[in-house]
Amino acid sequence: MPLGILLGRRVRRDKSEDQPVTLSISLPAGVRVGMNSRTAFILPLLVCAFVPLCHASDQDSISRALDEVVIMAEYRERQLVTQQTLEGKQLQALASTSIADALKYFAGVQIKDYGGLGGLKTINVRSLGAQHTGVFIDGVRITNAQNGTVDLGKYSLSTLESVSLYNANRLNQCQSASEYASGATVYMQTRRPASDSLSVQLKAASFHTWGGKANWQLAKDRIQGFVDAEYLNSKGDYPFRYHSRYEDTVGVRANSDIEYLRVESALFGGDFQSHLYYYTSERGCPGGIVRRLSDKYDNVGREWDRDFFVQGTWDHAFGERHRLKATAKYAWEYLRYCTDYPENQNTARVDNHYRQNDAYAALSYCLTPVSWLTINTGADARLTGLNSDLKFFDRVTRLDTKTVIAVMANMQGINVAASYLGQYYKDWTKVNVGAADPLFKATPSLSLSYTRWGLTARVWYKQIFRAPTLNDLYYTQAGNRNLKPEFTRQWNIGLEYHATPGLWNFSIQADAYRNDITDRIVCLPMKGTYTWSMLNYGKTLCHGLNGSMTIQRQARDWSAGVTASCTLQDDRNRTGSEDDENWNMVICYSPRFSSGVTVMGAWKMLTLSVSELHVSERMWSYADPEDMLSPYDNIDLKLSADFPHWGLSIEVNDLLDVQYEMIQRYPMPGRNFKISLTYKL
Amino acid sequence: MRRFAISILFAVCLFQLNAQERLIILNEGNWQSNNARISYFEDGRIVSNKWFEEANGYGIGDTPNDIIQVGPDLIAIAVNWSNIIQYIRTDGTAVTATEDVPNNRKMATDGEYLYITSYGHECSTTGGLWECTKGFVAKVDLKTFKVVKCCEVGYEPEGIAYYNGCLFIANTGGYAFQEDHEYETTVSIVDAATMTKVRDVDTGVINLYGKMSQTGRYLCINSPGDYYDTPACSIIFDCQKALDGEKRCFMVLDDIPATYNCATLDGKFFAIGSSFSYYTYEYRFNTALIDPELMFRTDGADGLEDSLPGTVSEDISTKLSSPYGLYVNPYTGYIYATDANGDFNSPGKLHQWTPEGSYIGSYKLYINPGHFLALGDWKPAAVDNIRYDGSDLQSETIYNLNGFRVLPGSRGILIKDGKKYISNDK
Repeated sequence: MPLGILLGRRVRRDKSEDQPVTLSISLPAGVRVGMNSRTAFILPLLVCAFVPLCHASDQDSISRALDEVVIMAEYRERQLVTQQTLEGKQLQALASTSIADALKYFAGVQIKDYGGLGGLKTINVRSLGAQHTGVFIDGVRITNAQNGTVDLGKYSLSTLESVSLYNANRLNQCQSASEYASGATVYMQTRRPASDSLSVQLKAASFHTWGGKANWQLAKDRIQGFVDAEYLNSKGDYPFRYHSRYEDTVGVRANSDIEYLRVESALFGGDFQSHLYYYTSERGCPGGIVRRLSDKYDNVGREWDRDFFVQGTWDHAFGERHRLKATAKYAWEYLRYCTDYPENQNTARVDNHYRQNDAYAALSYCLTPVSWLTINTGADARLTGLNSDLKFFDRVTRLDTKTVIAVMANMQGINVAASYLGQYYKDWTKVNVGAADPLFKATPSLSLSYTRWGLTARVWYKQIFRAPTLNDLYYTQAGNRNLKPEFTRQWNIGLEYHATPGLWNFSIQADAYRNDITDRIVCLPMKGTYTWSMLNYGKTLCHGLNGSMTIQRQARDWSAGVTASCTLQDDRNRTGSEDDENWNMVICYSPRFSSGVTVMGAWKMLTLSVSELHVSERMWSYADPEDMLSPYDNIDLKLSADFPHWGLSIEVNDLLDVQYEMIQRYPMPGRNFKISLTYKL
Repeated sequence: MRRFAISILFAVCLFQLNAQERLIILNEGNWQSNNARISYFEDGRIVSNKWFEEANGYGIGDTPNDIIQVGPDLIAIAVNWSNIIQYIRTDGTAVTATEDVPNNRKMATDGEYLYITSYGHECSTTGGLWECTKGFVAKVDLKTFKVVKCCEVGYEPEGIAYYNGCLFIANTGGYAFQEDHEYETTVSIVDAATMTKVRDVDTGVINLYGKMSQTGRYLCINSPGDYYDTPACSIIFDCQKALDGEKRCFMVLDDIPATYNCATLDGKFFAIGSSFSYYTYEYRFNTALIDPELMFRTDGADGLEDSLPGTVSEDISTKLSSPYGLYVNPYTGYIYATDANGDFNSPGKLHQWTPEGSYIGSYKLYINPGHFLALGDWKPAAVDNIRYDGSDLQSETIYNLNGFRVLPGSRGILIKDGKKYISNDK
């Protein structure tokens, strides 16, 4: 039975049609109906398809469902690695403004947020640190050679089909070498339009926030595409309060404004997909809340960003055995940071401009000599140039190449995947300290799983490092050209179970992990001098348990689902020797326990989602047991109504107005509201 | 029994009254974390690492940089990132705080006024009273705690000392590194009474940054260099010779930085130096004992030793991971050094030696302890230098109970013509 035909026109098949496969259908409410298989081969890439909802009975729900239904291959690799996904309506139903809000509900994730819409938001997975998480959009990594972090606040959920988090890396066919090169990976998958439409959205929110969005999409037989533009303006003047034994501070956040414009466009056609992205913003960079007698002096810093990228991927199967993928990307980034304001008397005055040019190309080839085996090879090259008017700085050019060989095999429920990744970095610069020595390092990873009666047991191990960024190496009066890469090792053992009795869908997974980091790259004042510098300093050892569970039920007019995740973690400092005072202390800002629960219900045109996030207390210094950030609970609510031409949604974030911080002295906004109105053609 | 208890209590009180070593230590905390703390140490124990909070119910603020005593029961603390000068009594209770000197750095006093350097520039202080392009020194009246006058000096002025009616200010020029100006090489001399610049002494040494200490007419000034091509060093400066206009009023100690330094009881300087280069990423560590008088007398041939008394030098290099301050109690001669403890996120430590340099022990402090003040029978530094010639004796001069001159019109119990009286003047 040709499943591809049964399930829709866009299902990709790599194998002959008589091969049994496992497929699942994500229904509007995120319900996945599994179709089990009797064997054993590895289906390729994430497959999106837009098909009529097979089992829906009335015409209304069919026409409505057209936009939302996705069919995804329940590829076996999914169980080899630890993966969490939010997709389709479930993703859109979340009260969120950026992908950071969606990711925070995943097990093992810690979002670092400096507060407000403009505050830098980065993701830290299993305490590896933000720079060990690769963020990919449509399979291509978003990079920043200057500082190595990706600000999740710059990416919107509205154009996405799904957001997935893979611990270690995804294991698909024909992956690029870059996809193997981080400790954890986040995939943002752009939605491929299934119908022609035009929609306009207006929104208003607390703290003088307003904005608008327009989306135009078309779907022809051979070509689909969209243009999505969003503008937002927020003063970000949210109130905060610090209340403790030695303090009762009430204030309103200043210099926390942001204004941005984002324009995105994507084009899909057969084996080809491309993405164009432009983002421009101006924002205030508020400092920590410190004791001041008045507002007379402020530490004003402002930042301007302009990001642009264009990328294209061509992914083609030649017969049943060969598959080739080629990717090209060009990115340009501009950053200006200025503190030169009369009311700012504290900060050293700077007005610096940074410009990055980044060209990337990747080629991967996948061979399936026999049905149970695939061999994947890939090579990537990235050339980055960084220019800045920083004093004593000169242009830096970096060549970063990666090569991978990966093997995946599956026989009788036993899955094995192994990869070996080589990375080579070389820099050219005229900065006075000279370029760092070229870096070459190869790292392995290995995964093993066994599946029986819907239950999968898995173990995996991965070694990976992050190369020092250009800031780490060359930043004037801080950079250290002698830095070694920050090296991680991860061990994981886990269980996963899926069942789909009737209209129910149930899945649960639990993983125990251990990871260590050596040669952490940190900025510290050098011994006995007043200078700050980048150093390889410190080791950490982390043990943890991740659990997540999804229960969903789909009926005729309604659907409901619960997703829950939790993390229990013990992240310890192993720097120096056992005699050291801080040996085995819990790493600062690392919570021992965190959990997230999202309950979603949909009835006809209404969708309600309620999320609760709990984060336990975190130390922020080793100097005093009282240096502790309080635990917090966040409840977010979103109610949306979708009529044929109109849509309305109302959000309440931090319902209980809990005052909390992720970074000490950077208060987060309390309760806030958002309303948006959408008109669709 | 009760009598016994009372006598014990009395003995304890007496003991406390007679405490020899009384030390206030500023823990800078972390930048932008508002977690500065004050520790109070008395005779071999840390009384509290939250001394200010406990006395006042609130925190001192963000990143204090300097502490000096300005009156018998008055202490000034420059809280840099909070933009305030916090005044406290010797029991830790707050008197008041002023914020008219943004980005304040280090302080000096003549007992009547407080002089404080500031990196603030192109700014107006005291509500638009005064503007400057480079950095400045502000003069604060200790009776009103108000800025009365300012004087522009070099870019980012750091260390300051009061000597013979003049202020000596070391300029760095290295903080606002991205600005268009170069490192400063000057020591500015400012007339304290009129707050006008007398002149700049060009030392030829860049970036006069860090702790500056004073013993009598001599100053010990550190220069970390530029961390690339210019190495770190230090300067011994003779204020009197500078006032006399002598060209050779300072000596440069090449390759001997004095990153952390302090004056001793017998007119010498102790220094811990650390030099660092971004080329090699190596730092070099040294200690120095400088006898400025002998050094000037022998034209630099003598007066420099590379080790501190007893085991101090050795202990500093073995027991401290990140030296962050050095101090000699000016009343007792006990030697102290603080350790920021490696990652600057851990509790710092106070190490103590006898005046002869034998190690006593260490005590746990808070993050980045770096500035000290010993309590004792305080006299303003200027008192030592006053030679009264009787020329301005007027019976009209009014003093308060602390012996400071006050302006006519001041209120409270005052002394005039040797007699106490109560003034209700407005």
